[in-house]
Amino acid sequence: MEEHQWLVKQLEQLESDSRDYKQKALLQATIALLEEQEKRREQLQGELDGTLWSPGNWNI
Amino acid sequence: MKTLIIVSHPTVEESGSQQFLIQSLPDDEEITLHVLEQTYPDGEIDVDKEQALLREHDRILFQFPFYWYSSPPLLKKWQDEVLTDHFAFGYRGTKLHDKEFGLVLVIGLPEKEYQTGGQEGFSISELTKPFQAMAKKTGMHYLKPLTIFQFPYLAEPEKKALLVDYQQYLSLPQPISLKRKENWVLDQLAKTSKETLPTEDAAFVLEAAAEAIEDNRMELDELRLHIDNYDI
Repeated sequence: MEEHQWLVKQLEQLESDSRDYKQKALLQATIALLEEQEKRREQLQGELDGTLWSPGNWNI
Repeated sequence: MKTLIIVSHPTVEESGSQQFLIQSLPDDEEITLHVLEQTYPDGEIDVDKEQALLREHDRILFQFPFYWYSSPPLLKKWQDEVLTDHFAFGYRGTKLHDKEFGLVLVIGLPEKEYQTGGQEGFSISELTKPFQAMAKKTGMHYLKPLTIFQFPYLAEPEKKALLVDYQQYLSLPQPISLKRKENWVLDQLAKTSKETLPTEDAAFVLEAAAEAIEDNRMELDELRLHIDNYDI
């Protein structure tokens, strides 16, 4: 998570430094993509935790 | 994959939205931009040339301002004259079969007005039925349109997001999934010029971003695999 935040910060800095509009758009899209992946990771992790804790799945 | 963008706008040079889209085109893709009003200022369409262009491309896009629930007049004339019997439909009229067809629509009102009870009362899917029927009749796969509502009111981050959405709409295989977006971003990060990035460690950051995207994908796939294994 810390690494994710560090990377987003670096990319934001690059986006503001870039002298090319299309490149700025790409960097913004890269940040949005990383955020979306992070969101899905949290959702899937939550789903997996829920599945593991569901007695229906314990097979006993 | 080759994409043909057929633009129709009575004054394309003066249109902020059309100029933005034209400036947004990627430099290195197999994309043909074809502005009807510039090619045919007198309105006389070269049918053979247009049909040859269609044959050469796999994804055909109509890009225009949505005037009175339809296209500007030259694009309608183009449809009437270019999409002929024996070429686009009818006996041996299979030249467009299995191509993809999509709309890039610039729309003056906000999206929320295009629904029952909204100011316009009908959805974009309803209002674009003639284009859907055209795609069906000519054997083309109709893509989800790229709709741009109230371009002049877009904030800067929204414009940059539109630029990327547009580039992806031109070239990405459909449907556009997160995985496909990841591959697209990875490809673009590898290609982007370092010359327009002043800082010395720019290359390092770009590499770290690419690595993070790939690592995240592996983790997402692994999590999905675990969840699927627990399903009874």
